[in-house]
Amino acid sequence: MTGKLSGKTALVTGGSSGIGRGILELFVAEGASVISCSRSACADDLSELCQFSQLDVADSSAVDAFADSIERIDILVNNAGVQVEKTVTQSTDADWDLVMGTNAKGVFNLCRAFIPKMITGGSIINIGSISGNVADPSMALYNASKAFVHGLTRSIAVDHGPSIRCNAVCPGWIETGMLDAGFDIAKEPTNAKQDALQRHPVGRFGKPADIASMALWLASEDSAFASGQLFTIDGGMSAASPLNPGLF
Amino acid sequence: MTLENKTALVTGGRGGIGRAVVRRLLKEGATVYAADLTESGSLNAHDEDGSRFIKLDVTSESDAIDTAALIKKEQGKLDILVNAAGIEIEKTIEHTSLEEWNQSLAVNATGTFLTAKYTLQLLRDAAKDGTSSSIINFGSYDGFIADPGLAAYCASKGAVHALTRAMACDHGPEGIRVNAICPGYIDTPMLQSFFEGEGSGGQGGSIDSLQQAVRDVHPLKTYGTPEDVANLVYWLASDEARYASGQLWILDGGLSAQVQQMHI
Repeated sequence: MTGKLSGKTALVTGGSSGIGRGILELFVAEGASVISCSRSACADDLSELCQFSQLDVADSSAVDAFADSIERIDILVNNAGVQVEKTVTQSTDADWDLVMGTNAKGVFNLCRAFIPKMITGGSIINIGSISGNVADPSMALYNASKAFVHGLTRSIAVDHGPSIRCNAVCPGWIETGMLDAGFDIAKEPTNAKQDALQRHPVGRFGKPADIASMALWLASEDSAFASGQLFTIDGGMSAASPLNPGLF
Repeated sequence: MTLENKTALVTGGRGGIGRAVVRRLLKEGATVYAADLTESGSLNAHDEDGSRFIKLDVTSESDAIDTAALIKKEQGKLDILVNAAGIEIEKTIEHTSLEEWNQSLAVNATGTFLTAKYTLQLLRDAAKDGTSSSIINFGSYDGFIADPGLAAYCASKGAVHALTRAMACDHGPEGIRVNAICPGYIDTPMLQSFFEGEGSGGQGGSIDSLQQAVRDVHPLKTYGTPEDVANLVYWLASDEARYASGQLWILDGGLSAQVQQMHI
């Protein structure tokens, strides 16, 4: 590793698993001092890598109290997110509170509490989604929450530049528990997975490390002129029209 | 009849979508010139519909000049220009010859440029009475996301999208509105040739099952008709669309609103 983040302090929400864990590990390897949080308790091996707190990002007073305990950060990665696989008519108030609370209000809470902690400027990296641009079926609140993230990303870039840059990474299908949950509800999970693979020009699903690479670039000075943008990392999937593979 | 006293030119006016556009504009009372390579066009037949036929190769500068001169002489102005002429080469870049590439760009992009360039003064003249004139180009949802084996087509439609915005910026102050319609799958001779073509990978399967599979991937469970497209052309051509300019209007039954579908 090249120490691209040495001397920097990074806060990565939802760092205990999936994409967040991938980002956390890469940032540590690049020399950053990392702070992380999750709703769940600290995973056994995580406490050696970072300073960890149990936190629900949807709870604004808890987020404010958490921020009070931290003097400064240089990099904020808003990764914590949840999904509920339902249409609008199936979704309950509790679903709304969970999905919008974590994915939308959580990003807002963290930005509001930590922008003042980015004393000499810095980089905010939000995890958006290709689903914030086009719709995944039966993911209504998730899709909408990610579109919120995309909009807030642009607002923060406009309002808090030049000292703070803010961008979003829009992952496609990344091998995490969230993707497995999608295949689990398919009638034939094996076929569904094979079909989905064929929709990826690069011939595979993404890995958390693929998203971490983009997050590192956005966190580093290599991206000094990038702000307010959405960067899609999806193995080429959304460049192709949504027709069945092998039709033509 | 809201297009009374308006004159329209439709290139590709004897083709699948063009012919439906011509019919709709006539129904709304416009005087319509249907321009195409031949009077029968891609449907290989011609029914008298009240339009005036102009033989036009959109890739020919002299044809574009002659077309504009004819309309100037007969009408003195042009209110509506619909650039519907288009071709599709069903190949990857590896299998596309330079000649095929040039022809794709010539018809789909250069044709739009030439026809608009030489009718521009007539469109300005039509806008002098205070109502705007309207250019409607044909982009495609393929100008945003790619279908396999359609490289030159996708590229040419991307060019039309950018040209549409550029023309809207340049000629809006002259009272000319410029928009593009970006159709998805529309039931035309071009689509049928795509289904039957070498690149279609019909793979021995029946055309019927292939067509049904394509319908099924649309949220509305069908592909569109030329009349669906003509309805939008009519609106963009009419004064009701007086504030619409510089936009790309996707009309695809919801196809491109989706992420790639997980088979559930």
